[in-house]
Amino acid sequence: MDNALEKEIKSRFVGIEVFTPQKDRMTIKIRKENLLGIIKFLKDKEFNYLTAVTCVDWIDENEFELIYHLSSFHDPAHIMIKKRIPRENPSFTSIIPIFKNSQTYEREIHELFGIYFEGNPRLTPLFLENWKDKPPFRKDFDTREYVKETYDSIPTLEEYK
Amino acid sequence: MAKWLKSPDKMARKYSLGAVYFCTGCGVIEIPPVITSRWDAERFGVVAAPSPRHANLFMITGYVAVKTLKAIIRTYEQMPEPKYTVAFGSCPVNGGMYWDSYNTIKHIDKYIPIDGWIAGCMPRPEAIFIAVTKLWMMIDKDAANGYIRYREYYDYYRRNQKKVLGKLAWPPLYPLKKNIEVEGKESKGKEYKEKELLSVRK
Amino acid sequence: MSQRELELFFGPQHIGMVGNFSITLNVKGDRIVEAKANPGYLHRGFEKLMEYKNWTQNFPMVCRINVIEPDSMEMVYAMAVESLAGIEVPERAHYIRMIVLELARLASHLFGAWAYSNMLGFDTVAQWAMAYRDYMLDLFEELVGGRVYHIYICPGGVRRDLPDGFEEKVMKFLQALGGHVPDFDAAFFNNRIFYERAKDIGKIDAEEAVELGATGQVLRAVGIKYDIRKIEPYAAYNNIDFEVPVREDGDAYSRLWVIRDEMLQSASIIMQCIEKMPKGKVYTRTPNPFKWIIPEGETYVRVESSRGELGLYMVSNGGNRPYRVHFRTPSFTNGILILEKLLENASIADVGNIMISLYVVAPEIDR
Repeated sequence: MDNALEKEIKSRFVGIEVFTPQKDRMTIKIRKENLLGIIKFLKDKEFNYLTAVTCVDWIDENEFELIYHLSSFHDPAHIMIKKRIPRENPSFTSIIPIFKNSQTYEREIHELFGIYFEGNPRLTPLFLENWKDKPPFRKDFDTREYVKETYDSIPTLEEYK
Repeated sequence: MAKWLKSPDKMARKYSLGAVYFCTGCGVIEIPPVITSRWDAERFGVVAAPSPRHANLFMITGYVAVKTLKAIIRTYEQMPEPKYTVAFGSCPVNGGMYWDSYNTIKHIDKYIPIDGWIAGCMPRPEAIFIAVTKLWMMIDKDAANGYIRYREYYDYYRRNQKKVLGKLAWPPLYPLKKNIEVEGKESKGKEYKEKELLSVRK
Repeated sequence: MSQRELELFFGPQHIGMVGNFSITLNVKGDRIVEAKANPGYLHRGFEKLMEYKNWTQNFPMVCRINVIEPDSMEMVYAMAVESLAGIEVPERAHYIRMIVLELARLASHLFGAWAYSNMLGFDTVAQWAMAYRDYMLDLFEELVGGRVYHIYICPGGVRRDLPDGFEEKVMKFLQALGGHVPDFDAAFFNNRIFYERAKDIGKIDAEEAVELGATGQVLRAVGIKYDIRKIEPYAAYNNIDFEVPVREDGDAYSRLWVIRDEMLQSASIIMQCIEKMPKGKVYTRTPNPFKWIIPEGETYVRVESSRGELGLYMVSNGGNRPYRVHFRTPSFTNGILILEKLLENASIADVGNIMISLYVVAPEIDR
């Protein structure tokens, strides 16, 4: 990957920031541009493999950050596209029309972080069953307290007798 | 020879343990070496039984997540008596490495009765065979009576199962003596507001 | 006369299931109408647990995500921490890491061969594969002390040097395995029964595979030559000569042949590493674990594990613990959407065949 791709992206889209922190890594931060437009442009170029979708909880800035990782089969480059959404009632559009395999990643993020994806036909729970508490990967969910309340408060058989 | 004449049922039961084939957790990688030709478990009489209705021995290999606990309890209750359970590894003992995880069970003796524990992460195949020989000695002395404990204190076990799993979908195996009402997951959980969001957006 | 639709549970307790995984099948007669995968029997919340422990305490935990091949997990964690903290690894450590990774790949492929041939009914080949894998675990025990979980590849290098006589033992083992390959071929890979049972089962074409996010053997069996060791070489893979085997058809038969060819390539890589290994230190000292602070930043590293592309995205906010860790495991895409797509219109007798030939490890999906 070289500077030609970077220049082309900068000239076509406004409202984004592009960094190349290391060799073969590019980060695109989206401020006001439409995410679907950039992803479609990169897919038509040659980055047609969606590797992963990640979510980071920045609780101090009151935002969630969604990161889409794209890669290609002929180029060693790896592109990360980042988008921030507010933490109150979080929701976002699904990119299933462009990449079919984002369905499972969006299901996982919905279950563990509580973000709603519009357009995803299958937002059913993946790992947890009967979970009524807050989404467990958020930063304000303390697992050690939850363990003390639920599991350690059960007495052993000797104490019960 | 004298032992065979005195109690033939115990000798026959000891030397032909049928283990239920259920790979519960991490410990599943030491099970294929144990049942293949290098460390042969069949010379100890242990074979794999395909269905829990034909089985005698239940090995819980590794940590237990909450969804797996449901499957384990249903399998355990389908096994005919007398049945023996052995817990593998250090995770069923006290939580092990995942002591602060929200989805694993910390001490499995509170949910189903356990006869023997094997320490290690992972235990070696020789440790499994030592455990089998110790189980034989326990069967001789009538000390492997987890299933009798399960029948006597069934209220205690069912109460703990309800607390962790919520409403249980299967009826009680033995008749309950006391009325077990416990503040389980169903009544305590704060319903997260997400459900309202989903219905509004449609 | 119309047939009723039934719902069957190919659940976790089943004689044909390897690992703790379950599939719900909607069946009409003998044909499957719809299949739904149920992961979640092994979920521990790894990524949340790693946020509570500091950088050195996380390193023994990481290997337990993939129980069959734990070394690639250690490698990817070590690479991420070195990339964030700017640590240089000495040259000899790169070669030792490559030997350990390729031995783990061989052991994992032999385990897969056991599972698949046992399911098809070739018990002799299954016992051979498991016996050779046990000799490899003996080699690991001499190197590290443990059979299964080797806490060996750490940020900064490897923990200790190779013991005396280790290289000769590895060469002897590889020659013994190489001498047995014609027997394996005659009994299993060139066998007519295997051809009849596995040809055209679980067939997927190239476009569909890329759309659904396939990786690893599933990609290489449809004709796409993608291997991270060639595209973005890590450790010292750019000094070693090896090929990436590729097949065209995309069914279970091609996937097993790709696995067999990869085993031979791994053996050749290990022999080249032993010849070319330089002398020197094996470890760069890292700071005191209680006081090790890594500056702010983020990184994405990737490694070719035996099942496909394994990636790790790590964020640090200037403390002594990671802020967010996300593992991109190959079984997450291979095991859910592709399995459900391939099981449509298959018969019940082929469920085990398709599931095991996709080479899925259940703990990797749930983490």
